[in-house]
Amino acid sequence: MCDVATVQKIAHCLGVNPGKVQLNEEQVVTRTSGQKKTVAGFATILESLAKESKSETAQNSKVSREVEAQVYQWIEFSVLYVAPGSKDKHVSKQLLSDFNKLFASKSYLVGHFITLADLAVYYAIYDLVKSLSPVDKEAYLNLSRWFDHLQNRPDIHQGETLLNFTTIYLHGWATGTHI
Amino acid sequence: MIIYTNEGNPLGLQLLMLAKFAKQAVKVQLVNLNDAKFKDLLVLPTLELDNGLRLFSPSAIAKYLLVDEGQLRDEWLEWSATLLAPALAHHMAVGHKADANALPVLNALVKKLDDNLKATPYLAGNKLTAADIAVWSLLAPEGTLKGAQNVESLRDWYGRVKALPEVQEVLSEQPLKDLSFNALQQSNRYGGLHHVPLKRLSLADAGKLLVDTTPTVADTVTDEEISAAQAAFTYTAPKEVKEERTILPKPGQRNVLITSALPYVNNVPHLGNIIGCVLSADIFARYSRSAGYNTLLICGTDEYGTATENKALAENLTPREICDKYFELHNSIYRWFGIGFDYFGRTTTQEQTDIVQEAFKDVLSAGYIIKESVEQLLCQKCDRFLADRFVEGTCPHPGCGYEDARGDQCDKCGKLVNATELIRPRCKVCNSAPVIRSSDQLFIDLPKAEPQLKDWVDKSEGGWTNNAKVITRAWLKEGLKPRCITRDLKWGIPVPHKGFEKKVFYVWFDAPFGYVSMTKRYTKEYQQWWQPAKGTDVELFQFMAKDNVPFHSVVWPSILLAVNKGHTLVSHIMATEYLNYEDGKFSKSRGIGVFGNDAQETGIPADVWRFYLASARPEGQDSSFSWNDLAARNNSELLNNLGNFVNRALVFCEKNFNSTVPEVALTQDELILLALINRELKGYINSMEKAKLRDGIRHLLAVSRHGNGYMQTQQPWVLLKGSDEQKKRAATIIGLSANIACLLANLLFPYMPTTARTLFSQLNAKQTPLNAEKPLATLLLPAGHKIGKPAPLFAKLEQAFIDELKGKYGGAQESKASPNTQTSAADLEKAVAAQADKVRQLKASTKDKAQWQPEVNKLLDLKKQLEEAKKTAPASTAAPASAPTNGSQSVKDLEKAIQEQGDKVRKLKGSTKDKSVWQPEVDVLLGLKKQLEAAQKAAKEAPASAPPAPAPSSAANPAQVKALEDKIALQGEKVRTLKASGDASVWKPEVDILLALKNELAALTGAPAAGGQGKGKKKK
Repeated sequence: MCDVATVQKIAHCLGVNPGKVQLNEEQVVTRTSGQKKTVAGFATILESLAKESKSETAQNSKVSREVEAQVYQWIEFSVLYVAPGSKDKHVSKQLLSDFNKLFASKSYLVGHFITLADLAVYYAIYDLVKSLSPVDKEAYLNLSRWFDHLQNRPDIHQGETLLNFTTIYLHGWATGTHI
Repeated sequence: MIIYTNEGNPLGLQLLMLAKFAKQAVKVQLVNLNDAKFKDLLVLPTLELDNGLRLFSPSAIAKYLLVDEGQLRDEWLEWSATLLAPALAHHMAVGHKADANALPVLNALVKKLDDNLKATPYLAGNKLTAADIAVWSLLAPEGTLKGAQNVESLRDWYGRVKALPEVQEVLSEQPLKDLSFNALQQSNRYGGLHHVPLKRLSLADAGKLLVDTTPTVADTVTDEEISAAQAAFTYTAPKEVKEERTILPKPGQRNVLITSALPYVNNVPHLGNIIGCVLSADIFARYSRSAGYNTLLICGTDEYGTATENKALAENLTPREICDKYFELHNSIYRWFGIGFDYFGRTTTQEQTDIVQEAFKDVLSAGYIIKESVEQLLCQKCDRFLADRFVEGTCPHPGCGYEDARGDQCDKCGKLVNATELIRPRCKVCNSAPVIRSSDQLFIDLPKAEPQLKDWVDKSEGGWTNNAKVITRAWLKEGLKPRCITRDLKWGIPVPHKGFEKKVFYVWFDAPFGYVSMTKRYTKEYQQWWQPAKGTDVELFQFMAKDNVPFHSVVWPSILLAVNKGHTLVSHIMATEYLNYEDGKFSKSRGIGVFGNDAQETGIPADVWRFYLASARPEGQDSSFSWNDLAARNNSELLNNLGNFVNRALVFCEKNFNSTVPEVALTQDELILLALINRELKGYINSMEKAKLRDGIRHLLAVSRHGNGYMQTQQPWVLLKGSDEQKKRAATIIGLSANIACLLANLLFPYMPTTARTLFSQLNAKQTPLNAEKPLATLLLPAGHKIGKPAPLFAKLEQAFIDELKGKYGGAQESKASPNTQTSAADLEKAVAAQADKVRQLKASTKDKAQWQPEVNKLLDLKKQLEEAKKTAPASTAAPASAPTNGSQSVKDLEKAIQEQGDKVRKLKGSTKDKSVWQPEVDVLLGLKKQLEAAQKAAKEAPASAPPAPAPSSAANPAQVKALEDKIALQGEKVRTLKASGDASVWKPEVDILLALKNELAALTGAPAAGGQGKGKKKK
């Protein structure tokens, strides 16, 4: 998914008007809102959205300086590693296993509540998770649990069809033979 | 606070500076991410705060440690982390990761910095902020701004930041020269920042601001390296080496026995097979010989087994005849690739039978053979026991359920499968379900050999590739089981045991002994290699793809240990991963990929294939063959880097020094160059000793890159026009360059033997042995040496040519589409004539075969097509053409075609489940059916709508009647054509016009309106 669409989705999650979102001459995403104020850069935009939002996710993301710093680093991680790395066979494998390890002991990326960090990584890793086979999804069980939990929130799935995480997968056995 | 970072990581500097400005004390700890202790660290550097919190993003750390300095600062922080850092990482990358597009991108980013600093003294305004620290710390380590032009504001800012006392303090603890962007590769488990794509659209007229920064590595050369390079650069006349007729191991010397996994005779080898074993073995053998070791390279075809029997049945030949036929195919392919086996044999020899039967008797008498009754799958339809590879079914392993698992292994989950355990097994030949029958078989008692094997593996695995170790360890961990070594077949080595006269050995028992029997065919003294006397050490290197590892690391060594007659056991298992074709698998049946014989037909020289395959060798992980990559490497590395350097050096020598190598008077510049080359030479030797062929190429190319850089900075073409002193400098530069060219020819020889020989003849020099003990560049061509005639070594591969090949070998879709696009014979004739002219012109203008060969191939191809077209031309007009507009097609022809196509589809669906294979054929069938429907309708209408022959009334104007009749005939034709295409909404209005015309005619002539039109005809 491209940065522009992701910013719009996250703005929607936070209940904030995204304003005009586009790419500038450096191919960096920018947001122009209210008083013609322009913000450049995915992470910086997300911070500006959080400032305007009264949503639970936004509040969770700025409870302390420590949380703010961690949220920021995951947003940056999603820009620098998750989004581009998902397109690389080897990097994506490592990413999946890293996140799977991470979610073995926690339910959200930062602290004990959903934050912007989860949203940024969720949208960045969406296509990669979508491409996984049922066997792979089972192999990355912790990541799958986190992902499935997030995608079931209406503010996150925003009407998209949910990915299938059922562990009993029949299609492997039931495909017919064409004669 | 603690900073965890890796050695040389440039981002560590940023954290040190941030901590300094935040007045926080930090400790630096260097870590290796592979270390299990640090498995929780994701990205380096990571800062651990006093409260235990860990942060790995420098921007997040800046925002945490320093107070809020405003949105502009935050934007710059993000910019530096997500745009500037990746661009620098791309720009500083060396070797195969080097990216020429990085410099223009970086120029654009630097221009943006300069433009901003023209407006304000610091990036985020009038005050120094964390943004300045972040950007400065990225630009400083590799001297990015060194030599940059037209960036005065940026330089001024750079100097102001550097002069700050905090920065000075940090620099005294962390010298810039220790930092390198290449260290980022070890800073995470994603291979650095290389996966971040460069943003390419922002190149608007940034111009050239930065200089190419590669020469800065020269700063890192130490005095020791300089003096070593100087001492070594002397001339020693090469010793005449006598080539012995038969190579045998010698006591006290290094003896290297190399084998390549025996290719199965029935398979046409594809590029993956070639680089996986034979080519890797050949490159290593060539290196080993040039390093002066006694080297023997043995390989051959593996010929016994069911697959051969089967193929023989299919081709109506005896198995022996099949083997003879395919052996020649293998032999010619490897010969074309320039594989220099000392002996290329086969397993169907008397020597093989003797050696295998003797080994069996030894194993038997040592007590390692067990007899057991085995349940086997019998295909009643084919009337034979099915070998593992002739059964397919659903994988029995829980959670996998792959439907096309083979009888011995599942391709999806990779686990071994017992053929009788497959769920819903089916005979691969006839697709019917086999039944289970029992028969007596012999087993080798691997569990009994396990303790000895474990000891041996512990001692030997140090020299194996990682995947070989892992696979072997996995086998040992699971525990060995007895393995069946006999089969109920005819085509194999008879089992010399009572009651087993009608059985033969399983190929995996006999094939590895092929290495021994082929050596015996090579020399009667083969035991010197395989059972060497005390005091003679033989190192056995075995090259293979990873699927062959268990047989070479577990099964065969167990047998040899059981035999216990002092056989040479493998010391180096060199296993590769798999090579994919353009991100898919090679598939002979679907026509996807390049097979041994195809490579020859492309017209691309064998040496270029060798070079490309070696540089894409799947070491450590799977790799992909890609046509674009092949062209890119040929054009950028062979042509522009290596070929360009060598040719420039030799042409300068020829034109300006009368083909005589001038005196080399070394100055500091030359010594630095030699020291840098010696580093690469050492890397080359180290890589080659471990058969890391990919790395070998990297170092080789780095040598010529250094050479190119040297020539570019020294500019001998300018010096040659200068004073006498300058001319002398030019002489040194050319003399040294010619010597480096000679060194390159030696390094290139294992990879590209033909090209290296051409280069040697251009240099008028001989191959010099490589000194693996002391890998330092020496003077190879002394002053006064006469060189030969220089000529370009490589030709460019044009994109159009590559696209053509890509289409040709891209798979079945392509070949199916071609009949539809078949051009007419006349067009083809024209094309042939045009192409022939082109070829004649090319041949007249250049002697370089590489240039005109592709065109000649095109011509031959066209001629073939023309022949085809001429042959099918009479037929194709009668046969159902696919064009739907052709309404005149007879219903009968179409019915016949439909029946044929239907049979084809049924057959295809029966033989494969792959929808992509049969779907196009189904589409053809449906198309035909539609045509038939239309044709039937048209046939019914034809008699009815035929223009009637009304008797013209005398009152009517004959001319008027004629005109109307013509109009009706035309309109009738139009309607028929349209109806054939089916859509009523299209032809209905035209029919109405026709009726109106006919009515008009009727009125004119007094005859009733044309008979039948519109009546009794079923409307759709």
